[in-house]
Amino acid sequence: MAKQRREKWSSILLVVFLVIPAVIAVFPLAALTLASLKPSTELMRFGLNIYPQFELWSLNNYAYLFTDGSIYFRWFKNSIIISFFSTILALTFSSMVGYSLAMYRFRGQTIVLFLVLLIMMIPFEILMLPLFRMMIALGAVNTYTGVILPMIVHPLTIFFFRQFALGLPKDLMDAARIDGCTEYGIFFKIMVPLMKPAYGAMGILLALFSWNNFLWPLVVLRTTDMFTLPIGLAGLLSPYGNNYDVLIAGSVLTVLPIIIVFIFAQKYFISSLTAGAVKG
Amino acid sequence: MSKLLKLGILLLISLTVLAGCGGSGGSGGEQTGGSNDNGGSEGEVTELTFWTFVGLHIEFFEEGVRSWNETYPDRQIKLNAESFPYDEMHNNLLLALQSGVGAPDIVDIEINRFPNFLQGDIQLEPLNDIIEPVAEDFVQSRFEIYSKDGQFYGAPTHVGASVAFYNTEIFNAAGVSPDDIDTWDDFVEIGKVIKAETDTPMTVAYTSGFWNFYPMISQRGSDIFDSNGDVILDNQDNIEVLQLIHDMVYEHEISVLAPGGNHNNEEFFAFMNGGGAASLIMPSWYASRFVEHMPDQSGNFVMKPMPRWEEGGFRSAGMGGTGTAVTKQSEHIELAKEFLAHAKLTEEANINIWKILGFDPPMHTVWESPELREPNRFTEYFGDGLFDMLLEIKDEINPLNITNNTPLARDLIETNVLHNTLRERSQTPEEALKQAADELRNR
Amino acid sequence: MKPNSPPNLNRSPSSNLKMKRNGTKLKNIFYSQKVAPYVFVLPFLLIFTGFYLYPVVSTFIMSFQQVLPGQTEFIGLRNYERLFNPTFFRALYNTTLYTFWTIVILIPLPLLLAIILNSKVTKYKTFFRACIFIPALTSTIVAGVIFRLLFAESESAFGNSFIMFFGFDPVAWRQNAGTLMFLMVGLAAWRWMGVNMIYFLTGLQNIPKEMYEAAEIDGANTFNKFRHITLPFLKPVTVYVLTITLFAGYKMFEEAYVFWEVNSPGNIGLTLVGYLYKEGFQYNQLGFGSAVGVTLLIIVAILGLIQLRLTGVFGGKGDN
Repeated sequence: MAKQRREKWSSILLVVFLVIPAVIAVFPLAALTLASLKPSTELMRFGLNIYPQFELWSLNNYAYLFTDGSIYFRWFKNSIIISFFSTILALTFSSMVGYSLAMYRFRGQTIVLFLVLLIMMIPFEILMLPLFRMMIALGAVNTYTGVILPMIVHPLTIFFFRQFALGLPKDLMDAARIDGCTEYGIFFKIMVPLMKPAYGAMGILLALFSWNNFLWPLVVLRTTDMFTLPIGLAGLLSPYGNNYDVLIAGSVLTVLPIIIVFIFAQKYFISSLTAGAVKG
Repeated sequence: MSKLLKLGILLLISLTVLAGCGGSGGSGGEQTGGSNDNGGSEGEVTELTFWTFVGLHIEFFEEGVRSWNETYPDRQIKLNAESFPYDEMHNNLLLALQSGVGAPDIVDIEINRFPNFLQGDIQLEPLNDIIEPVAEDFVQSRFEIYSKDGQFYGAPTHVGASVAFYNTEIFNAAGVSPDDIDTWDDFVEIGKVIKAETDTPMTVAYTSGFWNFYPMISQRGSDIFDSNGDVILDNQDNIEVLQLIHDMVYEHEISVLAPGGNHNNEEFFAFMNGGGAASLIMPSWYASRFVEHMPDQSGNFVMKPMPRWEEGGFRSAGMGGTGTAVTKQSEHIELAKEFLAHAKLTEEANINIWKILGFDPPMHTVWESPELREPNRFTEYFGDGLFDMLLEIKDEINPLNITNNTPLARDLIETNVLHNTLRERSQTPEEALKQAADELRNR
Repeated sequence: MKPNSPPNLNRSPSSNLKMKRNGTKLKNIFYSQKVAPYVFVLPFLLIFTGFYLYPVVSTFIMSFQQVLPGQTEFIGLRNYERLFNPTFFRALYNTTLYTFWTIVILIPLPLLLAIILNSKVTKYKTFFRACIFIPALTSTIVAGVIFRLLFAESESAFGNSFIMFFGFDPVAWRQNAGTLMFLMVGLAAWRWMGVNMIYFLTGLQNIPKEMYEAAEIDGANTFNKFRHITLPFLKPVTVYVLTITLFAGYKMFEEAYVFWEVNSPGNIGLTLVGYLYKEGFQYNQLGFGSAVGVTLLIIVAILGLIQLRLTGVFGGKGDN
């Protein structure tokens, strides 16, 4: 009885405690969404605030986004294509590397691990010029391929998969070998399912990373109809006249679909996480 | 023209288009149209690529294309115009010019970045043959800022005459008039009256923008570099100017530090829109920012010449600018140049600079034309007679000396000098300017 | 998580491989544990060579050159000599301070949140988890727009009205070194809190529940369970989070860019990558920019190796 009471109290306390970070996390986006409903002149007058002013609210800013041809949707489509392919490819290749780094002992292993960490340290900015030259040589300028190619090994993901795979039972591998599995069979049939939580977590992060990626697509993509959302939106902001209306509404519209997808997918996201826990 | 020929041309066009897709994405890197450097003569549509960092400039150039195609129906142009963010467009251009491929045919380059493109083997085409025939009709100094060794590389977009924007509502409340101001001494005196009567500051001091400092030193015939390219940033004139800006804030107390630090951010717009200060010294192109971001003050602000330093002194300075250039990587250099001349160096084009962009056109022969006196969104905001005022000060503009180190000089002023003297007050104007000048000399 | 010493791992499978040695050579390749890791790593090596090694080498070469179109020349160590200037040291200082604060904030707090959200007493887990993760869905650019508006100078903006409610004077947030650092770290913390929390959650949920049950039977209290079960199991994840936070800190660019682009007053927002970007692309000094890049790479490599050595990623003993 006493234990139950204590648990009840601590669960209330914990909820109260969790409300703080949750509010901090959600509030700025809510404020931005409210701001997007007002004309930017209001923003100029009073700054960003959260007082509801129903009389000022309208969807005009959004309407504007859709009047200028359908270029905004074009950007949307480009972002989706690029995010999809770079996520799938990066997950496949990175998990292979991370897995082999954790599960095998081989000559040059430390070097590979070191290279992975090295890439993590390299600021992309220093690679821009040579990488751009390379894309010209490959004829990949202004193509989806050009954007996706350098992203298909993602060092963070490799490192994450390595750390994750270190926690996987190695006895399973031996058992599978006795059953006559090839090394690749072990990976695809046994280990990949075991690493599901890692795929879930990294998949979301990779998709986000490429959805929000700015600098590299900007270098590679050259025409408006190839732009991704962040580039298209940034083009609306210039020192020669900021278009706040469009920028803010455009930003909200960039984030909102992701939030919706996340809210629906989070069930699977979380369940894949818990699935990992049950097996552990 | 025979049917067969037409068919051939159509094929050629579609080939060009196809090659454009498969190759380096229409950025002019791949051989497209073969060897026809002059764009052919048989009515073929030639595609030109244009990059800018101002969306509105595309509208302006589209107008130029329309007019070109009407005038030269046998040499049709299709302009593939792209607008990129400011920083990124210049970076991409730099990457493309360094790599030798991927640059557009025509490109807008901002004045502070222009020197970057005049180093090494210059990758821009000299425009002397299109500029020299019309040079007389233009404000000369606007070509010189985009030149090196007697070669002109950029077609100017505006004069950028600096002016004073006065808020008449505040002036009236204090019982004074902008016309009472002739010199900077008057400016300070009137400022004190306004401060006393309305408790509103006369003006603002930018701590991360050089738009008071630079016009004010240019007015006095001073500059950051002299005509030989030697650093004169720390000369007596400049020290006095910075001292005055400093004193207006801390001694006369008629100026405040600009919210947000410079002229171009949401805090500053909000401040000015709320009637935060009675005046602003800015180039005339800033008018568009008033119209767009300070709607509440419509009808209150007037544009006047800047106060002068002494009797007969200059009342303006040419500030900022965008030079449109043709790159050496273009497949159609001659055509691009002729088109550029048509789109920027004719009377029609300069009238459009006012009509579409709201800038003071660099071609002074159009300044008298009636089109510039037609009402538009700027006259609606600032009242009539804008152009007559600009005309009045057209001979009161000193040339600027632009060198390879101009981008650095601007950054030093904006990041260190103004911040340290005006906000932190950790250095006197003299110390700060000396330090920056030394850093420039050691470069 | 059973410790598997390398020789052990190699011996047992190879012995059972011997039994199968009657297959074709091709088949052997599929079964070979020697070949497999190389096959797994191959695509990575290819991409690495093409898209990272070549650019890094070419950056390294450029750092000894003055790079101008058509007039590139070797100038020895002059680019590196020029590094000894106050601007570079300011950038190094800002970057180090930023990294320090992100590590201080972005490891303990997400860990705490993850533990709470993993606890069986906590209610509405899914909801809170989603809320805290949502900022990660925004790009830095969008987040920057929000932060600039929230922390504008005017008294009516959120940041100032908040502190004025507690009796403080309004602050020009972007103008002072301290408050700007707060904004940059705040922006990073806001966006990354949820991500790091998910990392820790993934780690926590892989801890076998039986271990806790066994410990409870032995009479361990909450703190003991945390100290002896949770922490050791979380070590790989923690090392991972620490590593990415450290590297991301030194590579930071966008968080500063959204507030001041590259030219901040008194260089209070200048980072090493910002300096590289400014010199390389704004002043057209690609050679000098490359020298900054190479220096940054060396600094981070040293810090990274120290960190990884201390936490045991390199050097055998740490992997269990």
